[in-house]
Amino acid sequence: MPLAYSLPSDLSPATVTNTSSLLRIIALALISGAAIASRLFAVVNFESIIHEFDPWFNYRATKVLAEKGFYAFWNWFDHTAWYPLGRVVGGTIYPGLMATSGVIYNVLHALNLPVDIRNICVLLAPGFSALTAWSTYMFTKELKDESAGLLAAAFIGIAPGYISRSVAGSYDNEAIAIFLLMFTFYSWIKALKTGSAFFGTLTALFYFYMVAAWGGYAFITNMIPLHALTLILMGRFSSRLYVAYSSWYAIGTLASMQVPFVGFQPVRTSEHMAALGVFGLLQIVAFAELVRAHVSSRQFQSILFGSVIVIGVLGVLAFAGLTYKGWIAPWTGRFYSLWDTGYAKKYIPIIASVSEHQPTAWPSFFMDLQFLIFLFPAGVILCFRELRDEHVFVIIYAVVASYFAGVMVRLMLTLTPVVCVAAAVAFSSLLDTYIDPVEPEVSEVAVPVTGGDSSAASPATVDGAVSSKKAKKAAAAVADASSTGIASGIVAAIGGQSKSPKARGIFGLDTRFLIVVNALGMLLFFVLHCTYVTSSAYSSPSVVLASQNPDGSQHIIDDFREAYYWLRQNTPQDAVVMSWWDYGYQIAGMADRPTLVDNNTWNNTHIATVGKAMSSPEEVAYPILRKHDVDYVLIIFGGLIGYSGDDINKFLWMVRIAQGVWPDEIQEPNYFTPKGEYRIDDAASPTMKNSLMYKMSYYRFAELFGGSQAVDRVRGQQVPKTGPTLDYLDEAFTSENWIVRIYQVKKEDLLGRDLKTANAFANGKKRKKSKPLARRKALA
Amino acid sequence: MLLLLPLLALLSIPFCLAAPSAESAHEQLVKLAAANNGLIKLDDNLYNLLTHPNRNWSASIHLTALDPRRRCAPCKEFDPSFTAVAKAWSQVPKPQRDNHFFATADFDDTMATFQRLGLQSAPVVHIHLPVEGDRRPASGRTAPIVYDFSNGFDAGPLAEQLSVYTPVPIPYKAPIDWAKYGTAVGVGLIILSGIRVFLPILRSRWAWAAGTVITSLVMTSGFMFVRIRGMPQSGANGQWIAPGYQNQFGQEVQVVSFIYGLLSAAFLMLTLVTPYQTQPYRQRAQIYLWSGVILVMFSVLISLFRVKNRGYPFKLLL
Repeated sequence: MPLAYSLPSDLSPATVTNTSSLLRIIALALISGAAIASRLFAVVNFESIIHEFDPWFNYRATKVLAEKGFYAFWNWFDHTAWYPLGRVVGGTIYPGLMATSGVIYNVLHALNLPVDIRNICVLLAPGFSALTAWSTYMFTKELKDESAGLLAAAFIGIAPGYISRSVAGSYDNEAIAIFLLMFTFYSWIKALKTGSAFFGTLTALFYFYMVAAWGGYAFITNMIPLHALTLILMGRFSSRLYVAYSSWYAIGTLASMQVPFVGFQPVRTSEHMAALGVFGLLQIVAFAELVRAHVSSRQFQSILFGSVIVIGVLGVLAFAGLTYKGWIAPWTGRFYSLWDTGYAKKYIPIIASVSEHQPTAWPSFFMDLQFLIFLFPAGVILCFRELRDEHVFVIIYAVVASYFAGVMVRLMLTLTPVVCVAAAVAFSSLLDTYIDPVEPEVSEVAVPVTGGDSSAASPATVDGAVSSKKAKKAAAAVADASSTGIASGIVAAIGGQSKSPKARGIFGLDTRFLIVVNALGMLLFFVLHCTYVTSSAYSSPSVVLASQNPDGSQHIIDDFREAYYWLRQNTPQDAVVMSWWDYGYQIAGMADRPTLVDNNTWNNTHIATVGKAMSSPEEVAYPILRKHDVDYVLIIFGGLIGYSGDDINKFLWMVRIAQGVWPDEIQEPNYFTPKGEYRIDDAASPTMKNSLMYKMSYYRFAELFGGSQAVDRVRGQQVPKTGPTLDYLDEAFTSENWIVRIYQVKKEDLLGRDLKTANAFANGKKRKKSKPLARRKALA
Repeated sequence: MLLLLPLLALLSIPFCLAAPSAESAHEQLVKLAAANNGLIKLDDNLYNLLTHPNRNWSASIHLTALDPRRRCAPCKEFDPSFTAVAKAWSQVPKPQRDNHFFATADFDDTMATFQRLGLQSAPVVHIHLPVEGDRRPASGRTAPIVYDFSNGFDAGPLAEQLSVYTPVPIPYKAPIDWAKYGTAVGVGLIILSGIRVFLPILRSRWAWAAGTVITSLVMTSGFMFVRIRGMPQSGANGQWIAPGYQNQFGQEVQVVSFIYGLLSAAFLMLTLVTPYQTQPYRQRAQIYLWSGVILVMFSVLISLFRVKNRGYPFKLLL
């Protein structure tokens, strides 16, 4: 057999295996290193700090766990959140993340390594990304081979789609969840392949860990049953499937019910019913198989077949009936909004208002996955070519995850692993083909491809033989010839399994060189892309902002921490701070003050109350503030430096959410100009101008510009010269760049006047004689 | 015309002053509503009657401009919904029905009213709450509530939201869409009858492969974004690339999924098909061809991406 390039022939097989396994270990170690290192941009560019919003709560909870122990954490009732309601933390969180860092913290301290809990929290996500890379390697290895596994590990290690949720400091549930997801899937595949109850139990244990760690566990809860169901429908029921599924479902469900936040949901809600239904179906099918093995009568088998179908239909009807009677809760809004995409906007505006719940445009896909996104379909096709049980799993995963990622930006996270796996399969198949040194025999006349296809192939052969004579003359003829060649090639590729291996291979060195160089170029480009995206887009802590000085050096904008520390230092410990819910966790974490609402959006009415206070005029808002004991109101204002994620831009959501509860008091159209524009300049609608949010944002803003025209840099509009006045609130603090503004709520006037009158009196304004005297009235 | 409008308004003033008592007005409204499927056609006088300052009834008033000269397409779209909801209301038992009225005020009949309300656009739905009686709002609000069209012009959400203000919920049921059910049943029958023809397709692995790959190609090119946001196929003045990173038009889905598909196909060709080519020079031609396709299409894709994301620093050929 001819070789394209020579290979050393004096190596023993043992040397080859040992060397390759050593190389694999080194490669995996390097991949882990790269995965961790590329997530450290956030620490290098900024500092070791917890990012964004939710991580601040997780961090706070972890601190309680580390300082006071597990039981204190488990029974923690947080008085300062959702003032005055409070929050039962132990029963309303997924504790997996905090427990993980707690264990790491205790292990390190037991080893006399006094690591600060904050550093553990910051570095947890990068650490787990290395584990994710390893579990993806294991998963892909089951699909194809080790080389595909290494590629998949490298892809997921640096793909921005996963990095976006796991940079250092992004201490959120997703940080460990993707590792758990991949490892659960790996052990499921392994259990299915081997029919081992051990791996089935391992699947169940990691499923339990996943349930304890992330609400997205419902994805696994539905993926595995879907896979099992598809296998049954394909006629691939086997005892391996039965063992794997039953051990997973029985142990996994019982284990998942131990998480207090989940409780009895696995038997009471529709999200989990698919798993239960498939479990029941598997028992029926297994029983039928058993009976069929012992009974030979044909009629009996057909009766059995009929009865299986009847039982299945009855089971479905029973589920429907139970749902209808209310024994099984119907799908929750969050789950439902994935199918009916208009649902959330109509009924649950809080969910629709979150930016990561928006649908995904194609540039996001390309940004997060770059060339993997178009290798992905190629990998899926290759899976169809093999179509073992595990390939069916990848195919289902691919379809489901690409739909979900299209509906919601944040679910890009669940798509990334399957894209990496499929792309790795495609890429490594390509490299396998072109690195293999074996050259096929050169044939003067094309060999008929297969016996069955000879009639189809022989005209193509004749055609090709004719055109081969003219090939040097006309390039078009070459294209023509190659296209007929392609046609027969496709036939060969599709029906390819039964072929002799000799007919397949690549001629020449230049072709190999071209493809390999091309592939390496693409990989290199991918690395450059990922590094660029990670460092520029995904490594901002969003608590600390960065801008550039005119000389190109970095300028840090630290308004948030400045303001939160001001609150911490200058206000009494029990001063209640009202802000929009986005900032609740940060205030609790950094300023350590009670908040009305926070990012755990469990009480819509409470959030709507804050929304109403923000969008009402001062006189209406003041009683609300006083009734909730609010001492300070905190708002985010980006108009001075152009920070676009500020409260005026979020204001319409406050209005919408308030409108959902008080439709006759707050109405969204009133906040627009008659032409339907959202404006903050002179043309703004009176409702807008009188709203508390507008007043607090632009209070004394125009004075900052001296005599010249004040401009809001986010909206690009001119702010009225005479700004709003405040009667019921006092400006308490404004940060350096005006991003955070804090107002103190005045107490009732000591003389019993309403504060507006008192203010007018203090300013020396006389009342007009014609007006009746202000009555002394107590505020409601 | 312009002079006439204030005159008309002037004329209506004495009528306002000499407003009939609330009871007689109520009787008149009940009669009018009963005469026209529960929907009262308003003129300026009737408008004042319906929004009587001492009313103990509530009213939903639909202000519109249906005359073709006004060229108000949304008005035409919304009018059937309002009429249907009003008709549904006329099915309610009499004691509750007479406490809420549905009325339509056309711009050409009620210019003075439109002018007085300062309305510049149509359609608008005002909900007037009772001023007297036990259904009077606790806030004592007399100004009309403006219906929020954010849920579109459909009758379903309209009935749902108006039901908040009516004495009993409006018994509106969307008419059964026979055409839709008919089509579904028809398609089902065709599939059932042709099951022998379709079964090989259903059982064919490559039919499923095509379905899977097309689904994921379309989904990863932002199809759901276009559907959920209701993005147009292409923009004004013929541009087909929407500016901005988090934005896209319908046509981009087709272009991008085509590029992805072509790149994917090129990789598959190189992996699966070319190795079966048994003549060296033809195989070489194919390899160079597909490598060229990959290089060019990838460059095109990146240049497209650079249009969307201006700050992107890398580029290939283009």
